[in-house]
Amino acid sequence: MSSKKLLVIANVSLLLVALLLALIFFEVQLIPLGKATATLKEEASCQVEWRGEVNEFLNIDQCCLEARKQLSCEQQGKWVCQTGQGDVLKYWLNQAAYDYCQRQRIWR
Amino acid sequence: MRKIMSLKKGDGNKKKKNKLGDIKRGDIQEKFFLFLVIVVLIFGSLNVVKAKGWLIPESPDSFVQGKTVNLTKMPLDKKIAQMVIVHGSTWNEEAWKRLGVGGIHLFALADAKTYKTIIEKYQEDVTIPLLVSADFEGCLNPFSNFHQSIAVSEINNPEEALSKGKEDGKFMRDLGFTLNFAPVVDLNDEIWKCRSFPGDEKEVSELAEAYILGLQQAGIISTAKHYPGRTLAGKDPHKQLVTAIINKQDIYPYQYLIGDGVVDSVMVSHLITNGVINSEGYPSVVSEKVIGDLKEGFKGLIISDEIQMAGLRNFYSTLDEMYLAVFKSGNDIILDFDEDPLEIYRMVKVVEAAVQRGEISEEKIDSSVRKILTAKGFVVE
Repeated sequence: MSSKKLLVIANVSLLLVALLLALIFFEVQLIPLGKATATLKEEASCQVEWRGEVNEFLNIDQCCLEARKQLSCEQQGKWVCQTGQGDVLKYWLNQAAYDYCQRQRIWR
Repeated sequence: MRKIMSLKKGDGNKKKKNKLGDIKRGDIQEKFFLFLVIVVLIFGSLNVVKAKGWLIPESPDSFVQGKTVNLTKMPLDKKIAQMVIVHGSTWNEEAWKRLGVGGIHLFALADAKTYKTIIEKYQEDVTIPLLVSADFEGCLNPFSNFHQSIAVSEINNPEEALSKGKEDGKFMRDLGFTLNFAPVVDLNDEIWKCRSFPGDEKEVSELAEAYILGLQQAGIISTAKHYPGRTLAGKDPHKQLVTAIINKQDIYPYQYLIGDGVVDSVMVSHLITNGVINSEGYPSVVSEKVIGDLKEGFKGLIISDEIQMAGLRNFYSTLDEMYLAVFKSGNDIILDFDEDPLEIYRMVKVVEAAVQRGEISEEKIDSSVRKILTAKGFVVE
């Protein structure tokens, strides 16, 4: 590959990095189209599981805060946020709820 | 023949022009490359500076002499910062210390060693130690990756509650914590089904009292939450803030614990309330009436529930209005888990300006800071 082409590739890459850094600095948040579609399709829902009993957690903001406090969130169809294994609380969030939570200031 | 010659000449000129064009384009590309490198370096550095909180100015701590704080010499912005508990993230440590926040709240971490390391780093080289808090209730357990704890819903008598309080308190103290946002004294937990003590309001109060005494014996500050009750009930999913009717039973645990002079702090919720506690259409946490009435009988710390939740934020048209409201209403400690140190710094400056123009009295700020510093073991002059 000629050095000119390499320079063009480097410039395009740097431009993208610069753009990304600027977005981070100015705290601009873009919703990827795929996630935006998912958000439109379903209503945010959150459930709490304690020892196998699952209950609806209607306060999504509170759910976001509690989920954020957990050690990890993993996608298992829905997103499950928990700390450790076994006899522990679990927060089940659908994609819409998870996307909503990620847009909150406490998740940044 | 001439035609062929002229064509050849033309080709030669074109080639020369193309070559010149390539060289020029190459030059532009090189200049653009340098420009982009500089832009990336500038934005990269700005992001680091922002995250580290280096844009927040430092001020001398000459108002602290050993274990004595001279409140009159303490700068106003430092007093306001003392009233804030933030999320103690590892990446913001320097910024929070520079800002002089009153405390950090820790979420779940992998193991005890990580907790100890983080807390030690936060407490290193600070003139006023930070309050270090967690929500360690039982089933709600940030330590559950390495430490199990019985749910309060399984506690049957005050002896068990006292024992749990001592164990939880000792565990927290060993890690370096000073403040537990527990016990919950809401009467019915309809969501988690494990966060409330069992029984009626009297039994809940007795169990909570025993638990608090256990925490205190281990040197941990306790918090009865979430005033004035009914926060663990289901709510209308279409409303971010809900109105709850508070009855005598809901408020009984607070009257009991405050009356006995046992509880160190009370956390106030975002619920709009009617009934025996009327927040007059405002979320309780920003209701001057609710907090003012509570303060008449309670001299301990009043702590706001986390303020970045959309329900409370959307109650106001701007963040500044909300910041002023939570300080104005009389909370001593504000929980704000915004991860951006510059935003917390901005909040401090917004409140400072409000104090300077007389919208919030400095006596109110002083009174809160006095309570906080006393809880930290300082003598306040």
